[in-house]
Amino acid sequence: MIPPLAARRRPGSFPRLHRRRAALIARLSVFVLSVMMFSFASLAHARQLAPGDEITSGSLLLRARDGATPSAVQLGTDMDVTVTGLTARVKVVQAFRNTSRDWVEATYLYPLPEDGAVDSLKMVVGQRVIIGEINRRAAAREIYEQAKAEGRAAGLVEQQRPNMFTNRVANIGPGETVLIEIEYQAPVRRISGEYGFRLPLVVGPRYAPSDASAADVAATRAPVLNPRRHADINPVSITVRLNPGFAPTGIVSPYHAIQIVEGAGSTRTITLKDGSTPSNRDFELRWRSAETAPGVELFRERVRADDYLMALISPPESNRRRTPPVRELVFVIDNSGSMSGDSMLQAKESLKLALRSLSPTDRFNVIRFDDTMTELFDKPVLATREQIALALRYADQLEASGGTEMLPALRAALVDDTPHDTGRVRQVIFLTDGSISNEDQMLAALGSNRGRSRVFMVGIGSAPNSFLMNRMAEVGRGTYTHIGDTREVITRMSALLDRLTRPVLTDLRVVTQGGDAEFAPADLPDLYEGEPLILLARASNLRGSITVSGMLDGRPWSRRINLNQAVEGVGVAKLWARRRITDAEVGHRLDQVSAEEAAQTIAQLGLDFSIVTRETSLVAVDRTPSRPQGARLTEEELPLNLPAGWDFVRIFGAPAPDSAQSTEAATDDPSIPFDLPQTATAWALSVWAGLGLALIGGLGLMVMRRRRARS
Amino acid sequence: MKPTQPPAAKGGRRWRALPTAGFMALSFAGLCLAGQGAVIPAKAVLAQVLLERAFAKSRSTGAPVKAWPWADAVPVARISVPRLGVSEIILSGGSGEALAFGPTLVPGSAPLGQNGTAVVAAHRDTHFSFMQHLQPGDVVVVETTDGDRASFRVQGGYVVRNDQFAIASRAVAPTLVLSTCWPFDATTQGPWRYVAIAHAQSSR
Repeated sequence: MIPPLAARRRPGSFPRLHRRRAALIARLSVFVLSVMMFSFASLAHARQLAPGDEITSGSLLLRARDGATPSAVQLGTDMDVTVTGLTARVKVVQAFRNTSRDWVEATYLYPLPEDGAVDSLKMVVGQRVIIGEINRRAAAREIYEQAKAEGRAAGLVEQQRPNMFTNRVANIGPGETVLIEIEYQAPVRRISGEYGFRLPLVVGPRYAPSDASAADVAATRAPVLNPRRHADINPVSITVRLNPGFAPTGIVSPYHAIQIVEGAGSTRTITLKDGSTPSNRDFELRWRSAETAPGVELFRERVRADDYLMALISPPESNRRRTPPVRELVFVIDNSGSMSGDSMLQAKESLKLALRSLSPTDRFNVIRFDDTMTELFDKPVLATREQIALALRYADQLEASGGTEMLPALRAALVDDTPHDTGRVRQVIFLTDGSISNEDQMLAALGSNRGRSRVFMVGIGSAPNSFLMNRMAEVGRGTYTHIGDTREVITRMSALLDRLTRPVLTDLRVVTQGGDAEFAPADLPDLYEGEPLILLARASNLRGSITVSGMLDGRPWSRRINLNQAVEGVGVAKLWARRRITDAEVGHRLDQVSAEEAAQTIAQLGLDFSIVTRETSLVAVDRTPSRPQGARLTEEELPLNLPAGWDFVRIFGAPAPDSAQSTEAATDDPSIPFDLPQTATAWALSVWAGLGLALIGGLGLMVMRRRRARS
Repeated sequence: MKPTQPPAAKGGRRWRALPTAGFMALSFAGLCLAGQGAVIPAKAVLAQVLLERAFAKSRSTGAPVKAWPWADAVPVARISVPRLGVSEIILSGGSGEALAFGPTLVPGSAPLGQNGTAVVAAHRDTHFSFMQHLQPGDVVVVETTDGDRASFRVQGGYVVRNDQFAIASRAVAPTLVLSTCWPFDATTQGPWRYVAIAHAQSSR
């Protein structure tokens, strides 16, 4: 048990906290107001769309065909991102507004970048700000449950997956709004001179394989609203303060309309053009530097007694024409139900583009999977024109339906008939949205069977499981490419296909001169053109230099980096810790370390750096009880939007392998009522009637004139 | 002071002027009404010219382009029926406002050319008057701003009530539904709709 939270506040910090609190409350109250307006509007809209649906608090409904009903707790989210150099600090405020007359516990499942480190939780109840504390997961849960039982407001942040978190908020009073503010640190990505980050906004419904445990399935699942029946919910507003250290150019957000305001120096403030957006697709921001990117970028941070270093090392551009290696390629395409709609189209187009790029000396095969699996050829064949034509036709007729059993497809793709053939490079390309919940099994299978194959992940759709994608690419020593829009297929796939023909740096190693350092990642990946190596390190006293060496186009290559050039970087320590946690998780999955060992490492890192991990959670508890004794507490799981481009009926209506919902859906009428608009202008009627009137008037005038002439 | 006119004469003139003014007002009102009516097809034709331009621009840039600054809908596709020589620009959103300028993709339907049912509606006496000449087997071509081109074959036409229509929720292929009011020569608005259902032809 921890002492009451208020007792932990240092007296000296109080005035500052107070000022900050006032500012926070002022800022938040404006935000809450806008959220309330938005949610009222969407609620009204939802009611209008589905007059039969009554909003019942506390009863969680996952109706087979209609999806969930909007809950009594309305949620609005505000994200404030500060990018400094190559790190991003993201502040996420979730406002839980209880519109019912009951006391409510709300649970909200939300995504975060899988390389983000959540290290702060604040809860605002009325005028009180409660600061969250990091605890072992079980202990945090206990603290929370006790507070919940005692009628005190409490907030709990738990990690379900490295990129999937839940917030629980207990004892939200009738009509009350509780604010939960979490903060996390994430790295900025850089590919081919372009910088960017991604804010995942929605968790896509995931397919759980038939042998998954019930508790795990429940934790990674939330009710989903059918977009055809309800207006989108969970509005998000986003502000990005960009301070990359150089003048950014070409700032783009590929999926949202944005507004850019230039600030002093190289700072830019970016907001959503529409103010807020329903959280149904990930937000991405990319920018470029007007200058050419340096070969090495170094950042350091000193926390407590240790130095932390982050280095971005770009491989040298290979400017001579090399003959591309002879390859064996296996394409694995996901045609499960979650891919229906835009995603399937994007996957097919990507596959066809890749097939057309093969050269006749390459060997290839195509594997498709849903809950079943088919290999186009028994074993990889030469990419002759006829074989490619056959594969193209095969790709065309693929249709999205069924579950997502990815494991057998992965195993099949990794079967290597000629494991010692050094003349041929073996590459496996996965086209999927990764909507599965058995990531561990996938990684374990990949780690133990990868052999000489390199695995490239192509993430499809508006909200792919980027944790799985990144880790698979990492364990498979390949890359991860995301395609979020049909228009991106050609550019992104071309860049990937281009990269596939040119691995630049392999067998990377790093050595320090002057002191020991703990590096992360422990296993360095292969580097492809345009991709930097991101290296994180911790040392008690970092100085001197490090040397990175490897094979460049089959010849030894090395580079010495002087650590004196490093500039101050905020959050480098947290990123190092996050990366070490990932290494420990992957290490356990690959059976390099035991489960207990991994858990211990992760928990220690989590507690030391105050980061939410699978072993540690943040918990905040209000001191004073608010819910009167005897008042009932209803539990609500907040529904999610379906990611944009997904087809609700395909996912929840079509026979799914996992529950009773599907049988109910199957007997349902497979058609949706559709109101046809009024489409007649009756312009001809008014023309004819008008002309008729004019004619009568004209005739009348003629008669009058004749009469006058007669008299 | 002017001499006042004899009351009899004044009354007579008024009696004579009244019907003249009445008839003039009647023909003026009639012309106004006819003009108002005639503006509708004129607007429909003119808007299509502007929309065609915006569509071409949208296709080359890949971004939505408004045909005129205050437009509330953007062009999303071009629909054409080669046999009838029809080519029109479809607008996003199905507000009554947008219907005046072109056929609209009704909210709630699937995106054009993708799996699912896309419902396109337009007025029976402007853009979709050609529907009365549509026959089973006719080819309807849809080109989206993305540059995708899909052709559909008309399967048949049906008369339905506006509130008794449903679309398949498990469409596995792109389906196009054209909807307009029925009967085509009616003078008043009613609940009846004429829909033509067209299925995607495999393009390759």
